[in-house]
Amino acid sequence: MFERVAAIIREQLNMENADIKMQSSFKEDMNVDSLDLFELVMALEEEFDIEIPSQDLEQLITVGAVVEYLKNKGAE
Amino acid sequence: MKTRITELLGIEYPIIQGGMAWVAEHRLAAAVSEAGGLGIIGAASAPAEVVREEIRKAKKLTDKPVGVNIMLMNPNAPEVAKVILEEGVKVVTTGAGNPARFMKDFKDAGVKVIPVVASVAMAKMMERCGADAVVAEGTESGGHIGSATTMCLVPQVADAVGIPVVAAGGIGDGRGFAAALMLGAEAVQMGTRFIVAKESIVHQNYKDKVIKAKDIDSEVTGMSTGHPVRQIRNPMTREYLRLEKEGAGLEELESLTLGALRRAVMDGDTVNGTLMAGQIAGLVRKEQTCREMIEEIMREAQMLLERKADLRI
Repeated sequence: MFERVAAIIREQLNMENADIKMQSSFKEDMNVDSLDLFELVMALEEEFDIEIPSQDLEQLITVGAVVEYLKNKGAE
Repeated sequence: MKTRITELLGIEYPIIQGGMAWVAEHRLAAAVSEAGGLGIIGAASAPAEVVREEIRKAKKLTDKPVGVNIMLMNPNAPEVAKVILEEGVKVVTTGAGNPARFMKDFKDAGVKVIPVVASVAMAKMMERCGADAVVAEGTESGGHIGSATTMCLVPQVADAVGIPVVAAGGIGDGRGFAAALMLGAEAVQMGTRFIVAKESIVHQNYKDKVIKAKDIDSEVTGMSTGHPVRQIRNPMTREYLRLEKEGAGLEELESLTLGALRRAVMDGDTVNGTLMAGQIAGLVRKEQTCREMIEEIMREAQMLLERKADLRI
């Protein structure tokens, strides 16, 4: 799951060589802004065939939080 | 003129006035609505009770709909949302964030919600959470900006969503209005031109700066902070950019901008104030009433569209 999320981040945000860890914070460590986050969420929805309501965006602070969120959503 | 936006909002002309902080108060908003567009009160960082007063004062000046812009990053956004519901405001535009948490309450009360977006993904997300339309705002706009231009953003957003699109950023006359229609928009939102409206309470010094601004006088500060702001260059922006280049921290940079918009709008401080305006300031040449502006834009757009109707490719 982590690897797939990391791959999507690298592809969607054009960060091919980024060092992505579970604890990486989008804002602080990766300089990802709110528009990037919208972009990422749309891609995650497509990849995992789920819907992420936009009010849930606020909790997606780190890569780990995204992985955890997807697991809770039953994403496979 | 009829578009899905005029139908949605019950207005005569598809021109929306931007919810500019400090500038978009009740007199300007009421004048735009009275002239057939949609006036917007910019709640910005004002206390909720001040917003309530502004709404009530606008209602005394016009029976036509007047909207409110909520700045979602503001900690008091929930109180402002409550005031909007209590005062029976029918249109809300939202900026600086995600309006999802207020969407249900607004929809239940029949409030039309029009988020300002700066990307296709955000527009899609807003449509899904129930937005009635979106304002696709290009980087030509004044104040807080995204990075895509109006020319590129509007057609992409129009392709991506089914709800009507309002074009904003760089539109100041009939040519811009007609171009926005060609890009797929069904209305425009304008801010900069209305700064110099006769009904605008903006200090004369500020209005003069907008009127005198040339094409290259537009400057973006705050790129390094992640919150870029477009304004007319002045000693304050020069100092800001110098500090930014030197790698100054957020605190030092904010000491320059704190209260700077208020200083410009209310006190006419064009040296230490923030003269927020879009790139189109270079095209804005005179003070007029909101009615004169709107009617001129519609007349010009009509003429242009008719003239071009004969073109054959």
